[in-house]
Amino acid sequence: MSPEVTLHRISPELRPLLSSVVRNGRVGLDSTNCLRVTDLKTGCTSLTPGPCCDRFKLHIPYAGETLKWDIIFNAQYPELPPDFIFGEDAEFLPEPSELPHLVQWDSGDPECLLQLVKELLQQYHHYQCQRLRESSRLLFEYDSLLEDPNYGRNMEIYAGRKNSWTGEFSARFLLKLPGDFSNIPVYLLKDTAVDPGEDVALLSVSFEDAEATQVFPKLYLSPSIEHALGGSSALHIPAFPSGGCLIDYVPQVCQLLNNKVQYVIQGYHKRRETFIRHRPCLLTRKGVVEYDAEGFTKLTLLLMWKDFCFLVHVDLPLYFPRDQPTLTFQSVYHFTSSGQLYSQVQKSYPYSPRWDGNEMAKRAKAYFKSFIPQFQEGAFANGKL
Amino acid sequence: MAASISGYTFSSVCYHSANSNSDHEGFLLGDVRQEETVSISDTQISTAESVQVVEIHNHDPCAKLFSFYDYAGKLNEENLNSILKDRRKNVIGWYRFRRNTQQQMSFREQIIHKQLTELLGVPDLVFLLFSFISTANSSTHALEYVLFRPHHSRYNQRITLTIPNLGNTSQQEYKVSSVPNTSINYTQVIKEHGAEFFDKDGVMKDIRTIYQVYSALQDKLQAVCGEVEQSERVKENIQEDVNKLKQQIALRKRKTAEEERRLLEAQNADSHPTPEENTEPSDASPLSRIAFQTPSAPERPSTSPNPPSYSDLLAQGDSLPSSSSPTTSAALLPRPQAVGSPGHPITPYLGNGDGSSSDSLDRQAAGQEDDDDEEDEDEDEDEDSSEYENLVSEAGHLPMVSTSGLAQGRPAALGPDGDARGSQAT
Repeated sequence: MSPEVTLHRISPELRPLLSSVVRNGRVGLDSTNCLRVTDLKTGCTSLTPGPCCDRFKLHIPYAGETLKWDIIFNAQYPELPPDFIFGEDAEFLPEPSELPHLVQWDSGDPECLLQLVKELLQQYHHYQCQRLRESSRLLFEYDSLLEDPNYGRNMEIYAGRKNSWTGEFSARFLLKLPGDFSNIPVYLLKDTAVDPGEDVALLSVSFEDAEATQVFPKLYLSPSIEHALGGSSALHIPAFPSGGCLIDYVPQVCQLLNNKVQYVIQGYHKRRETFIRHRPCLLTRKGVVEYDAEGFTKLTLLLMWKDFCFLVHVDLPLYFPRDQPTLTFQSVYHFTSSGQLYSQVQKSYPYSPRWDGNEMAKRAKAYFKSFIPQFQEGAFANGKL
Repeated sequence: MAASISGYTFSSVCYHSANSNSDHEGFLLGDVRQEETVSISDTQISTAESVQVVEIHNHDPCAKLFSFYDYAGKLNEENLNSILKDRRKNVIGWYRFRRNTQQQMSFREQIIHKQLTELLGVPDLVFLLFSFISTANSSTHALEYVLFRPHHSRYNQRITLTIPNLGNTSQQEYKVSSVPNTSINYTQVIKEHGAEFFDKDGVMKDIRTIYQVYSALQDKLQAVCGEVEQSERVKENIQEDVNKLKQQIALRKRKTAEEERRLLEAQNADSHPTPEENTEPSDASPLSRIAFQTPSAPERPSTSPNPPSYSDLLAQGDSLPSSSSPTTSAALLPRPQAVGSPGHPITPYLGNGDGSSSDSLDRQAAGQEDDDDEEDEDEDEDEDSSEYENLVSEAGHLPMVSTSGLAQGRPAALGPDGDARGSQAT
């Protein structure tokens, strides 16, 4: 249910409260997933004219799970605070005195409901941590992480239900990995209406048994980080070592991620530097058809050699300068049998990552001069005008 | 643990809830009693099963939400007392109605329930949750209700709630509720008019009267039983006397018949048989032969002065020559008759339901003995002739029997038309 539909059906007096939930509602570590509202119902008689919905189900991402809490208002008494049903967690009973936004409920404050949900979630986290006491091994994992300020404050725990057959107890740890992702290249999502949110890397470690013999880690990255690193499969984290513990494993993953990110950032800056350095030339030469002004990954030049015009597409890879750029030569006169412009891709040409920008430009130019005659012959031979 | 709610309380809560435009809550009043069932079976001596039964008699709705608790769910005892007043001791639970929600205790309900249990001092306080679930197009509305009995921080324990007499009472017993009638008006009316119907012990007067009638009837019945017993004994004695007399009569007859036979034999042996003398028997013989061609039934001794009894006839039948014994034995046996048919019943048992124990055949024989001298017996004879038609037709081809030994003791022979007199030759 989209936020607009939700807000349209909700009782007008409750609309401001819900608006902040569906539009700005991000709770917990996973800020990429918003709070969702479904199952809008009413507590009024069926003869009451709408919109009069005053109770709904709120989906809250938490520790890799989705909590489904029922929130019950009364449209006839919108000033009253809501009631909650915590779904399958029937034993979760928060302490009301530790919910200040409930004790001093202010229906006029649009943020009141969102704040109350956050407070409830905090208590839910405590409740789940308490449940870890059923396994000393997992409790140890939790306590050791809690002591580390890097991870202790950004941790969500979901203690699963015991398997009634095997009696096994399982748990999931969701940790927000500390790191500086501020210099990650900006990534625009396809749906520009959705705010991609803060850049975050989350490590989820699932313990399928209380003795930590079956442990499954997984890394979740926000869209911009994932894109910057080259996709979801670009970064492979190591498997959880047998007999290992989280306090050793998590920093290891964190280090790996940060290294990768830094590498990517460096590559980006290098590319950017290369482009900026040559911007005057690029601009004045008038040979530049186009170039990626944000990611600095692509450059297209229109060159001429002895009255033979051709295009050169320069693709700077993600890990430039470590990885060699790809040069694609394209004829402006000749077509292939499939109707495309005749082109040749060159990946192996003299190159060294240790060259600076000027050297790279100079060497590229020399290479063009040596390769173009060959390209021209090929174009005439294999292409058609 | 079991629970029941009276029909009127349930319907009243539903009515309140259905007409409420928001969530609605109130208190449940009633009693908690312990029921112990002792059952005895073949496998064990006895089993005692103890069940706690919660009976909901009434409800007390709250005027609005949050009337006795604050936003955090903390109870306000003062407000609670002002709502409940003197009914506080009767509170056994509370209820809540909320539309389109899950059948599960909510966060605030659990907080309130915990405090109510402590404050009211009811360890097994119950919580009744009503909910209307409506379909999207409002075509169907389902009223759902669940009774919770939270126990030791477990808020999802449910108990079955029954509504007495909500069902097919034509097949089930209509249960009288044990709910005490707390209506003041009812008490006043009964007090005012009760004396006309109830005696000083609180028992309805009519019941006593009926019981007295019953007792009197029982006494009378006992007396009649005694009288019947006495009369039966007297009758039994009389019957014995009658049987003895009959035996004597039969004996006498036998003796008489024997003597006559001897005399006859003696006469025949002494005198020479003359034609004239032989004409009589020869004249008589065709007649008697004719008579014998239509065999007679043993129950027709009307022409002889002392018609033989049934047992006598049976004895005769046994003593007759073998050539005739099948005939007479067949003739002696009466045709069975259905009950209620005209004529004399021929039941083989003693007693025919009216207290008399006489054998029907004896009775018949006795009746015929009594009517021996009467001339107008045609009706009886006709009735009897209808009984013995079969015997007559069956025995129509029977061989001739010598008349000498049978002339005297031969019962009346019947023709097919029932003309017994005419066939009688003696």
